[in-house]
This record gives sequence, structure tokens and C-alpha cells, in this order.
Amino acid sequence: MEPGDAARLGPGRAARALPPRLLLLPLLPLLLGRGLRAAASASSSGAAAEDSSAMEELATEKEAEESHRQDSVSLLTFILLLTLTILTIWLFKHRRVRFLHETGLAMIYGLIVGVILRYGTPATSGHDKSLSCTQEDRAFSTLLVNVSGKFFEYTLKGEISPGKINSVEQNDMLRKVTFDPEVFFNILLPPIIFHAGYSLKKRHFFRNLGSILAYAFLGTAVSCFIIGNLMYGVVKLMKIVGQLSDKFYYTDCLFFGAIISATDPVTVLAIFNELHADVDLYALLFGESVLNDAVAIVLSSSIVAYQPAGLNTHAFDAAAFFKSVGIFLGIFSGSFTMGAVTGVVTALVTKFTKLHCFPLLETALFFLMSWSTFLLAEACGFTGVVAVLFCGITQAHYTYNNLSVESRSRTKQLFEVLHFLAENFIFSYMGLALFTFQKHVFSPIFIIGAFVAIFLGRAAHIYPLSFFLNLGRRHKIGWNFQHMMMFSGLRGAMAFALAIRDTASYARQMMFTTTLLIVFFTVWIIGGGTTPMLSWLNIRVGVDPDQDLPPNNDSFQVLQGDGPDSARGNRTKQESAWLFRLWYSFDHNYLKPILTHTGPPLTTTLPAWCGLLARCLTSPQVYDNQEPLREEDSDFILTEGDLTLTYGDSTVTANGSSGSHSASASLEGSRRTKSSSEEVLDRALGIGDQPVLSRGTRLVFPLENA
Amino acid sequence: MEENKKGYYWKGFYMKKEGLIMGLILRYATAPTDIESGTVYSCGKLAISPSTLLINITDQVYEYKYKREISQHNINPHQGNAILEKMTFDPEIFFNVLLPPIIFHAGYSLKKRHFFQNLGSILTYAFLGTAISCIVIGLIMYGFVKAMVHAGQLKNGDFHFTDCLFFGSLMSATDPVTVLAIFHELHVDPDLYTLLFGESVLNDAVAIVLTYSISIYSPKENPNAFDAAAFFQSVGNFLGIFAGSFAMGSAYAVVTALLTKFTKLCEFPMLETGLFFLLSWSAFLSAEAAGLTGIVAVLFCGVTQAHYTYNNLSLDSKTRTKQLFEFMNFLAENVIFCYMGLALFTFQNHIFNVLFILGAFLAIFLARACNIYPLSFLLNLGRKQKIPWNFQHMMMFSGLRGAIAFALAIRNTESQPKQMMFTTTLLLVFFTVWVFGGGTTPMLTWLQIRVGVDLDEDLKEPTSHQEANNLDKNTTKTESAWLFRMWYSFDHKYLKPILTHSGPPLTTTLPEWCGPISRLLTSPQAYGEELKEEDVECIVNQDELAMSYQEQATSPHSPPAGLGLDQKASPQTPSKDNLYEGDLGLGGYELKLEQTLGQSPLN
Repeated sequence: MEPGDAARLGPGRAARALPPRLLLLPLLPLLLGRGLRAAASASSSGAAAEDSSAMEELATEKEAEESHRQDSVSLLTFILLLTLTILTIWLFKHRRVRFLHETGLAMIYGLIVGVILRYGTPATSGHDKSLSCTQEDRAFSTLLVNVSGKFFEYTLKGEISPGKINSVEQNDMLRKVTFDPEVFFNILLPPIIFHAGYSLKKRHFFRNLGSILAYAFLGTAVSCFIIGNLMYGVVKLMKIVGQLSDKFYYTDCLFFGAIISATDPVTVLAIFNELHADVDLYALLFGESVLNDAVAIVLSSSIVAYQPAGLNTHAFDAAAFFKSVGIFLGIFSGSFTMGAVTGVVTALVTKFTKLHCFPLLETALFFLMSWSTFLLAEACGFTGVVAVLFCGITQAHYTYNNLSVESRSRTKQLFEVLHFLAENFIFSYMGLALFTFQKHVFSPIFIIGAFVAIFLGRAAHIYPLSFFLNLGRRHKIGWNFQHMMMFSGLRGAMAFALAIRDTASYARQMMFTTTLLIVFFTVWIIGGGTTPMLSWLNIRVGVDPDQDLPPNNDSFQVLQGDGPDSARGNRTKQESAWLFRLWYSFDHNYLKPILTHTGPPLTTTLPAWCGLLARCLTSPQVYDNQEPLREEDSDFILTEGDLTLTYGDSTVTANGSSGSHSASASLEGSRRTKSSSEEVLDRALGIGDQPVLSRGTRLVFPLENA
Repeated sequence: MEENKKGYYWKGFYMKKEGLIMGLILRYATAPTDIESGTVYSCGKLAISPSTLLINITDQVYEYKYKREISQHNINPHQGNAILEKMTFDPEIFFNVLLPPIIFHAGYSLKKRHFFQNLGSILTYAFLGTAISCIVIGLIMYGFVKAMVHAGQLKNGDFHFTDCLFFGSLMSATDPVTVLAIFHELHVDPDLYTLLFGESVLNDAVAIVLTYSISIYSPKENPNAFDAAAFFQSVGNFLGIFAGSFAMGSAYAVVTALLTKFTKLCEFPMLETGLFFLLSWSAFLSAEAAGLTGIVAVLFCGVTQAHYTYNNLSLDSKTRTKQLFEFMNFLAENVIFCYMGLALFTFQNHIFNVLFILGAFLAIFLARACNIYPLSFLLNLGRKQKIPWNFQHMMMFSGLRGAIAFALAIRNTESQPKQMMFTTTLLLVFFTVWVFGGGTTPMLTWLQIRVGVDLDEDLKEPTSHQEANNLDKNTTKTESAWLFRMWYSFDHKYLKPILTHSGPPLTTTLPEWCGPISRLLTSPQAYGEELKEEDVECIVNQDELAMSYQEQATSPHSPPAGLGLDQKASPQTPSKDNLYEGDLGLGGYELKLEQTLGQSPLN
């Protein structure tokens, strides 16, 4: 909830946007506002006419209970839906059916339940009364009403446009299953986004960092403008045909462009993951889609904040435009900083305390810190979801290494489950919303236009950017990769959540309906077509992401040999972007030693004059690690030094392989130290996830040599 | 490190302190701001309070939702500090969000063997004990209220006898989380641990339902007079809600068990965990939707899940579910305790009444004594393994009040008596958690209760040798209550085979005429593997085992039949041991045991 957003949404929303309220909002999880125990309803109980006040009180009590019951029923509907989805997913996975992803399935079930709710439940009329208030000129967030000597408290729910008053009093059940859209932003999206950040394949991600950033930032901007412009054309056309019954400005078109630019190829990625498609493609798509979401959120909120001064509120105004750009940059960098800072704090806390003796406490701390990122960012007026994303990435990069083994699996599993539930919940809600949402505006021209626009927008985003990136990349992005990326422009939870956030005006309702249809279409059709598309485009599948090696290498040797393993490290270096190399050496030399137990001691990497500080910040464990090494034999320390040297070498020259080869040769004597040094290497490469696997192969290897 | 541990386990203690400090800061460091809801509208047109108000303010229509009713004297303090207002949750959050994970976790982590062994005693303490405690507290408090009326501190007619009973029932929910944490840490006698834990868990369920029944007890005419019809209606309500919630909770758990048994969901631990979580949650929601008590349903759902579903889960899911609920329990509990500390300062309608508070302190001690000592005496008449005096004293001492009492008290703070109750409850919780919680360790030494007992010691050692295992089983049988024995044989013969992969195949336990059903329900794993792939010898062993179970159930002197098992069918041992462990509810130690057993044939 950005400040500009709040300002535009009128007093009601502004009241809700008060930061302290937001602190509490996520604490009302999933309850459909069930806290408002006495709400709506009274389908049957209100029928009985009471005379005495005691009986009336009883009736109110009953009414409250009834409403609570209805809340439970509607939530239960969703939960049973999810249960059903889980069972069907299992069946599909068991049978190896790949044409329908779990999210698509969740949507289908949602649709079915939506149809039943829509046409199967009787329409009841609520007890709504319309009062006319002349004394007040603004709306309060809470209202005390004196009804025949008793005081009742009412809270503001929202503003209703006069034409919609009648539709408010429709089906009660339908209203119950319609959530407050803020639920998505405050409860459902954060775990999804955090999980995405937390499970970024770090090595591949950082290797392709430049391309990913280009796709995410430039690409989203390009896509937003192209879609916006195309849609503006469509809107003009609709005006000529006479199909437009309300205002639709250029900024609205741009807003639509921004929300629909948030790609979410969850289906495609799931299939990639299952088929072990090419890791670089996976990293590119995943990284793009994750960052993309963040960019789209901030972009849409800065478009909303674009308010030109002067009379004509929808003409171009340079000052307002730059203000919007400023807001975009400010919010983005602010959220980024906030997320990164919380991640760093968590890393430091887990590093300098012995919290890893108590995995439960550690997990709880991790969870709470990550959550507080979200709340802090929201309270400061930044975007919580973006902060959570960067927090997740930082946590995965640093804190994860400090956690105990149990906490690692705990946090992974916890967020995995949360992510799974939240995602399927959103998708089944989407299916439901197609029928239960009561203000749909179906406009065929707009919808068709939007479909054309998103494809053109995606094309204008992928192909030119890939062309430019290929100029700079050593490891080119192949045509088939580009086609696949073009094809994977699915829209998902984020676009939906952004669209449902504000459905007050006619334009927004039309956008919401269109977004919903686009999500359906892309998830079902494109998601279902992924496997054929992969084989048609000749993209190699069955690649083990952790043994990803350049195809021209002798993979057998590489799998087992230690020397080639470090050669792989060099090759990684070679391939990677300049940005990555710079970042990598900084990260390896300074950040890792400060924030985790790994890496070289700071005393060696920092200049001499800050020796005291370095000693203070280097974890005792790094020294501890070194002490047994010193006891072991001096040879090893040399090789350890060697290894780090070869790192340094390889960043400048590409011929470091021989050095590390000799290093590994001298290592062969001591198995124990080797495995520990391997771990250092692994972790540096960001594949700490598979320490067991790699250690396993390594333990076998010296026997073979001997 | 030891200090660390203590800090962790006395979280109630610390968390509340944090909460208190936070509350102080919020109370006195934040400036009272003008909340927007200053004006009160008088609506002559409205006769009743509608659920939704549409208000037309200068041509813009706003929709307002009904929130609650406010009694007149609360209006002024209501318009105080906005931050305080924000920091005060809706009490329903406790019941709908925070308590379910705590209660489910409690049910899910009941030490099953000791629990069922002491089932009779636990049920007695929980049901009879809570009823006694409720009535005793109610009566004493009624006396104090009368005294207060005499002393002029209270208007006559404000505080009914039902209010006192209400207070009694909510005060009966004990929650010795601090004590249990210390017990767990010190490995106190498992029987005492189980008695206390089981009592406190079931106690909560009983207290919640009891509170609800009392609150709906509304006699026709005079609210103070006794009305037999209304009374019986309340009793009926109590029984109905309790039984209904119980049935709802177990039904969902049974469904989960069947689903996990008959699908191969264990290939995907994440899906399994998700399903487990969702179905447990739906038990709560269904119970609420049906007008029952969700928390009670969740409790029994947890117990049943632990007993059956847990055995069907994959190894990965077992740890996942355990950790997930452990984590949620940890967070929720700390949030509640933190909030309690906060509420002492931020809650704006406190009514401190010294006489009432003193009376309440006295009442809960007396009631706890009336609950523990007579019941223990009666139970000792029937128990073979008596509950000794020091256990009774310890149980008496562990009558801490915690999250449930607080949540029940905060649920309704509209009227003046309810506010007084809330304040008193808060103080009681503070006092008991700090003083009793802190005094547990000295008390344990003073009462000479043995500590350092390994809860699983008596099982770990015997299971490595079959004969000892059987001996142990015999003693378990003799020690345990009649109720337990009956339940045990029924559970072992019918429920376990139907709901899990363990136990004897149903085809052997059910009568002949329902052969098809039993064949359908028995998991392919129960006989499929053993019958087809292994040799005939093993089947004999298997049958022998099942026989020996039955014999033991009737006569405790049967020879240990499974003795030859180790030599004859060594590859079969692990699965058979699973069977044993499943029965003993020790599924958690499977891995360890399998390892030791895998070695024994080699030796």
C-alpha cells in the first residue's frame, strides 16, 4: 500500500492505510474478516420478529453466530478445494500427466465451485439500510451509531459507486467468499515471493545476473509501454465503436500494461524442474519472473501515483512524470535496502549467537525476521513484497550458511509448504472469482486487444533485448531459448493480485476481468503446451542442474575428478558476466567472511589498518576451522591459500586451471581436510544445498585414484 | 548452555516480561490521539442494528460493517489512544488463529503409550475434576461477591451466580506449560508427566465447552433462580457439543488416515504434509461451521492423527508435520503470552477489585485441592500403581493458568462483571506462571520426585530383544486399566488394521462373513508382501504373534511366542518391529530401532 495509492483511493482506503493498522493486518490471517464476528447475514434467524429487547439481543447473538458459521463454511470450501487439488495432483504426478499443472487444476476446481455457488445458492437480500447523513462531509473509519439507547460500532468497508448500490444486496454467500484484496498482498503473496527468493538457484542466478536484470527492468518497462500503447489504441477503437460506457484514460492503459507485465511462469518452471531442462534457461526464466514481479508492483504503484498538476489531469506533465520515476526508484531501492538489511541482520545474529543449538528457535527467528521485513517495509511506505523478495535472496545467500542442518531443512520445508498452499489458494480463488465476483465487465474487443498486446509486448521485450544481450554475452542466448522465453510469458498470481486490488472504477473492473481471462488462458493453454514446445524447440532436457557442465567437456571425467571440478569453477568464471565477477570477488572477499562462517578470514582480505575490526568480525569458527588445519599439516594451508589464489587468478586470467589442478593433487593425501575445503568451494559456488551428494562422490574418489 | 536452555523453557516467564515492558511503553509513552470515531449518531429510524450500513455522505455512499455493540459506559475510554486501540486484537483471533495450533500440537504430541495407560485417571481428572473445580470456584466466588455487596463495593444484582460459575469454568482450564517444559527437560517420571499433560490438555477442552454451556444457560424468568429445564438443557448442550466435536475431530483424522493409507501420497512428502495440514484445519472449520467447538475438535483430531495417520506418513512427512506444528505452537504460544503482558496495560477497561482478586486466589487453590486430593484417593482405590502423595502435591502445585483461561476471559469483556473477571484472570495467570513456574524445580526436589528418567528407556532396551519386549508388554497389560485393555485390543484388532499399514490383517481378526470387506480394507502392505514374497514359515510366526497378543490380553502368563523370530526370519524383523512399535505408539523411534535390529542378525 503505497502512499500515493492511499491518497487516490479516497478517505476509506486512507484510513485503512494507516501504518499501525497494517502491522496488524497480517495478523488476521485468512479469516475473511471473520474477526468482525457480527456481520452481514441473518438469512433465516432475522425472520423471527422479536418484541422484547432481551430477545432482540439474543437474535443479534444468533446472527453473529450464524455469520461466523458462514465464514467457517466459506473458508472450509477453499480448504476442501485445496485438499481435492492435492489429491488430484498426486494422481497426476503418479500417472506422470504433464499437460495440466496443479495451479491449472486448482483453477478448474475453483471454477466448478464458483458455478455451484453462483447458480446453486439462493439469492438472499441483506438487511442493508441506506442512511443519509447531512452533518458530515467526510467518511470516518469507525462510526458509533446510537440505536434506541444502544451503541453499535461500525467500521468502514469501502466506498460504493451509486450505481452499484443494488448489487451490494445480492447473494450473501457470494459476498462471503469474496476476500478483501489486501489479503493477497499481506498474507498470500509474501510467502510465495519469499520462497521464490529463497530458492533461487544462486550460482546460475548470479552468473546470468546481467541478463536477468536487463530482462526484468528494461523488459518490464518495454512491455508495459507497448501494452499500454496498444491498449490505448484498442480503447480509442472501442470509443469509436461505442462500446465504452465510461472513462478510460491513457494512465489506465499504462496501469494495465504494468500489471499484466508481471509474468509468473510457475507452470513452465515446474515442468522445467521436473524434466531438468537446461539450467541457464531455467535461471533466466525464473530470475526474470521473480524480479519482474517486483518491478511490476512498483511500476504499477508509481503509475497510480502519477498525478499531473493543472486542470487537465490526464495530459502529459513532465514534472509529474519525473516524480513518478522518482517514486519508482525510491520505492524500489528502499524496499531492496530494507530486505537486504534484514537479511544481513539475520545473518549476523545467526552468526554471532549460538542459536544453532536450538533449531526451533533458529527457525522461529528466521521466520520472524523475514516477516518483519515485510511489515517494516509496509510501515515505511515501501513495498513489502519487494522487500521480502530481496530478503529471501539475502537469506539464502548468507543466513542459510549459518543455520544448523536441521534449521536448513526446516526453513526450506516450512516455506515450501507455505508457498504451495498460498499459491494453490490464489489460483483456486481465481477460478472462483470468475463467477463469484459481481462486477465483471466483459468487453470482447478489449479482451482480444489485450491478448494481442501481451503477445506483442512479450515479443518486443524478449527478442530485441536478447539481441543486445547476445552482443555482450560469451555464452549466447540461443534462438530456441528466446522462443521458449517468449512462449513462457504466463500471467499468474501477481497480475491477478494487482488487478483485484482496486476494482472500484469501470476501467479497473474491465481490466480485472481481462486479467482473469488472460491468466486462465495462459496457464491452461501455454502451460499445457510446454512439454511439446520443449521438444519442438530442441531444448535439451534431463540435465542435472548441479552437474551442469559445458557440453564439450568429457563429462565422465568431470563428474569424478577433482581437478576438472575446479576447472569447472574456472569455466564458470569465464562464462560469467563482468558484473558477476566483480560482485563475486567482493562477495567472496568481504561479505561472506563478515556474514557467514565461510570464506577466507577477514584479516587476510581486508587491508592491514583495519585489522582490529577484521578480527572482531571474523567468526571464531573460521579460525577454528583453520586451527585444526594448522594442526593437520602445513601443506594444506598452503593449498588452501593456493585455492584462494587461483580464484583470484581466474578472475583475471583464464588459465588458473593448472594451478588448482596441482592444488588438488597435493590435497589427495588427507581426505578429511579435502572434504572441508571442498565445502568451501561448493559454498562459494552456491551449491551448498547438495553437500551430502558432493561429499559422497568425493569420498569415493581418492580410493579410485589409489 | 544450561542457562540458555532454561531461558528457552521459561519462555512464558520471559515473554510476558517483554510484553509487560512493551505495554508500559505503549501506555505511557504514546500520546493519546484523537480517534476519528468521535461522533455518535442518533438514528431514530433504525429499530434494530443492521449488519451493513450504507451511509450517504455528500453524494458518496460508504459501506459500513457492523463490528460490535458497545455498552454505554465504555464509550468514553473507547475514544482514547489510537495506538492502544490498534494493539488490542479482536479476541476471536485467539480462538480462530492462535489457539488451534497450540491445541493441535498438544494432541499431536501426547505420549501415547503412557497416555493410554493412564487413560482412566486422566479422564477422571479432566472431566470430574474440572466440574468440581468449576463448582467450587463458583461457590466461593459467589460468597465473595455477596461479601462485596455487603461491603458496598458492588451493586446488588450485577453479578449473578451464573457469572460466578462462568468464572469458575474459565478458571478451571489449567495450562502447566512452564511446569511441563521443566519436566520435559529434567526427564521427570513419565507417569506424572503424562497425568499432568493429559489432564491439562483434556481440561482445556472441557473448560471451553463448560464455559459455553454456562453462558447459554438462561433461565426463563428470574436469572438468579434455579431452573431445572434450563439446567438440563445446558447439560445436554455440554454433552452434545463435546461428543459432536470429538466425533468431528476423529472423523477428519480417520479420513486423513484412510487417504494416506490408500493413496501413494507418501511419494510426495510436500503434498502429504499439505494434505495433513489442510484436513486438520478443516476439522476445526467444520466443527465451527456445525456450531460445535473447533478447538475441541482439533484436539481430538490431533490425538487421532498421531495415533493412526502418523504411522502412514512417509519418514520425511513425519518430521515435517512434527516440525511444522512445533513451530506454529511455539510462535502462537509466545504471541499469546506476549499479548497477555501487553494487555495488562493496553486493555482499557480494567476493573481492579482487591476483594475479588483475593477471593479468586483463594478459590483456585481450594478448588485445585478439591479436584486433586479426593479424586486421587478414589482413583487409588482402583489403580494398581497408586498415585503417591508427592505426585498429588506436585499436581496440586502445577495448577497454572495460561492461554486458554486468558482467551476465554478476553472473549467477552462487555459487562462490568466480565471485565472484573478478565482483570483477575490476567493477574492470576501472571502470578501462577511466575511464582509456580519459577518454583517448579525447588518443588520437585522438595517432594523427592525422581528426575532423570528416560521416557523411552523402558522401551528402548527391551525392544532390542524380543523376549524382554514381550515381558514388557505383559507388565504393561497388567498395570494398565481395564478401560485401556479393552480399548487396546479393539484398537489393535480392528482400528489399526483398517486405518494403518500395521497390525494383523483384518481377514484374521474379523469374523468370516465380512471377508470381502476385510480384504478390501486391509492394506496390501499388511499381507501382500508377507504372504506372497516371503516363505510360509513367516506366516506362522505372524499368526503366532497375533495369537500371543490375544492370549496376553486374557491371561498375562503366556510364553513369549515371538522368541524364535530373530533367527527364523531375519529380513522380516524390521517390518514386524514396526508392528510392535506402532502398537506402542513409538513410531518416532523407528529409524534407530531398525538400525540396531539390522545389526543383531549379523551378530
